[in-house]
Amino acid sequence: MNNFWICNIGFIAVMLFIGIYCLLTMKNLIKLFIGVEIIGKGVTLALVATGFAKNHILIAQSLAISYVVVEVSVVATGLAIIINTYRHTKSLDIGKLTKLKG
Amino acid sequence: MQLFLLIAVVAFAVLAVLLRDLLKAAISLAVSSIFLAILFFQMKAYYIGVFEISVVAGLITVLFVSTIAMTKGEGGERERKWPALVFPAFFILFILADIAVMKALLGKLPALAGEAERGGFSQILWGQRTFDLVAQIGVIFAGVFTVIALFRKGGSHE
Repeated sequence: MNNFWICNIGFIAVMLFIGIYCLLTMKNLIKLFIGVEIIGKGVTLALVATGFAKNHILIAQSLAISYVVVEVSVVATGLAIIINTYRHTKSLDIGKLTKLKG
Repeated sequence: MQLFLLIAVVAFAVLAVLLRDLLKAAISLAVSSIFLAILFFQMKAYYIGVFEISVVAGLITVLFVSTIAMTKGEGGERERKWPALVFPAFFILFILADIAVMKALLGKLPALAGEAERGGFSQILWGQRTFDLVAQIGVIFAGVFTVIALFRKGGSHE
């Protein structure tokens, strides 16, 4: 059980790496959001895998469901902001969002 | 089986990052979610498995696809090529470091397994956690009101 949890943690670390790499190197706003989603998947897997290993799967599930609810809210808000940004700048390039630059 | 599912989740997540077509990337993300949900079913986490398939693989993918459709046009930027070319080197380095750390951890952590839970899922969700569920309702309303505010017409800025 413990070894399976460590194996899961290894894969979760890989998912966090993929998400952070996406956030650091991509310039398309939707791609950046996909990176955030991948990090979120890693977090959900961490919650459930730890609950499974500790024999507390029900409380882990309830926490993960809370996270999914928050995730949906964040995605809806973020994508609405992206659409509004596109309407103003006609571009999804994060490098062109320089209006608030000091 | 579980190892295969974990590899599939990571592989489709990599595809979602590296594919330059946004629609294909969004669909890869959904496929990754489906494999994650199957993994949850394997861990006997049925409720979050159902949520993962219906909400994350379903609803969030629909939101992504509709956003991609609404922002497609003359300004649709394509990603640069170098992140996809450089990625394998970083990825292999990270996996090697990850395997080394996990091998060092094997057998050294204290046992995690605790006492079995009492009661069913609904008892734990509604009995043990009460106040934060009210906060969740607040989060949903915050999301709804933000979307309404962002899409209203005739605002002072237009």
